[in-house]
Amino acid sequence: MTASAASLSHGHDHGHGDDHAHGHITLQYQPGLPLTRGKLIMWLFLSTEIMFFAALLGSYVVLRFGAPIWPKPHHVHLSEPIGAFNTFVLICSSVTVVLALEAARANKTSLAKLWMVLTFVLGAVFLGVKGYEYAAKFDHGIYPAAPRGRIYERPDLYYGSAVRARLDELRREPVSSWSAARYRMAVWQHGSPQAAALAGWKEPETVDRLKQLDETPEAELSAEQQAGRRHLQQVQKLLASPDQQAIDMAIVADQVMPLPGEGPGAHHGAHGLNDIFPWLKLPAVIPGGNMWASTYFLLTGFHAVHVIVGLIVFAILLTYRLGAKQAGMIENAGLYWHFVDLVWIFLFPLLYLF
Amino acid sequence: MSDHGTHSHGPVTRPGESADEALEHAAHAEHGGHGDHGDHGGHGGHGGLGKYLLVFLALCGLTTMSFFTYSPAWPWRDQPQVGWAFMMAVSCTKAMLVILFFMHVWWEANWKYVLTIPAAMMALFLGIMLVPDVGMRNRMVSQERALHMARGSDLRLLEEASANAADAQPH
Repeated sequence: MTASAASLSHGHDHGHGDDHAHGHITLQYQPGLPLTRGKLIMWLFLSTEIMFFAALLGSYVVLRFGAPIWPKPHHVHLSEPIGAFNTFVLICSSVTVVLALEAARANKTSLAKLWMVLTFVLGAVFLGVKGYEYAAKFDHGIYPAAPRGRIYERPDLYYGSAVRARLDELRREPVSSWSAARYRMAVWQHGSPQAAALAGWKEPETVDRLKQLDETPEAELSAEQQAGRRHLQQVQKLLASPDQQAIDMAIVADQVMPLPGEGPGAHHGAHGLNDIFPWLKLPAVIPGGNMWASTYFLLTGFHAVHVIVGLIVFAILLTYRLGAKQAGMIENAGLYWHFVDLVWIFLFPLLYLF
Repeated sequence: MSDHGTHSHGPVTRPGESADEALEHAAHAEHGGHGDHGDHGGHGGHGGLGKYLLVFLALCGLTTMSFFTYSPAWPWRDQPQVGWAFMMAVSCTKAMLVILFFMHVWWEANWKYVLTIPAAMMALFLGIMLVPDVGMRNRMVSQERALHMARGSDLRLLEEASANAADAQPH
């Protein structure tokens, strides 16, 4: 606007001194903001993203500090060094994307492509590490919600009955999970086990895993498994006792999945029954663990989705010749990628170190 | 195209920048700028490998600093609030470095304030608005919810069980 007004008055002033120029007003296009439309849209998008992640991070902080108890990172099997490594990977990828942009501006196409490939690889490494971390959570029964989530808040009677229910399930564990799944599907399709039986579906063959373990000769078990078998028997005895105390359920929880100790020297994967016999899959207790899991998976999940989108954009960019003409595109993709890095800069201390 | 438009009414000055600096900046931009990606009123040729490397090293150093709170050498282990404040300060510094240098905001014209300040204010406001309903949700809870809610005593109970189990181990 200012420039147009300036040009107008400029033309007018000129007109007074020079009759030929009178009436020839030179108009110049002046965008509202001195940047390309692509970059403007990217920044507008990023400003909505700021609010999106602010809502997520804000909710996390408010939930965390409003909760009566929140698990320590080691209680939920988070590894701080892995988180720090991932932070390093993302920072490196931010540098490589900036270097790709500089190389493209200087029209060094092959160098730009090299930096872009590196950025893609680093993003993929980040996702891989995140996947590994997710797998570690799933192994410990930490999921965002039931029915897969096996985390209980308190070592109380509800927890005790959940462990008992799982032990009962193990007494008639289907021999093959595939046939069990097909049978469950048939029951669901026919409406009831009786209807499924009429249609010719037999209940899958089951095995008593606990009895099997009890009958295994000592020689076939390792020292750890032998100790585990004794602990499992103790757990069963505690659960069957009619006069249970709160501490009994705490002992059960500690035997199933002890809360690992704090600090870098502590043994992270403290061995409980679930680790010694992975097929047990008994419910475990992590005070505050469910809310933690909900926020952790939501925050890191949304961040991972952004990383995946970034990788798709980089993959598309890699099909182009990355010269000066493409610099604008690389700059916009880079802006997005730096934002993803920015979110992780806050996620890392909030999730891993707080 | 917009390059010419911007230059016709003089260089865009940054806050705290003198007219001379602005002129020098514009001359530098004209000298180093590329016509075909002309969206940068006053930036172009600003980066430089050295500057990026410096920012990268600063980011790595800052990450190590926040990771230091996790090490046994951190002196305020019994006061987690000190560590939290420290880590947030470090994170904000890292975020500033990424925004200013990697996202080139340092070299951008004044439009950067138009887009970032309202969004940042909204973000802050959003966070504050969550406090009464979500942050204070546990001040008043139903009896049933209180019954199933984890509390500090549960953790102590588990730690006690763990200590007893560790004592019983050698026998």
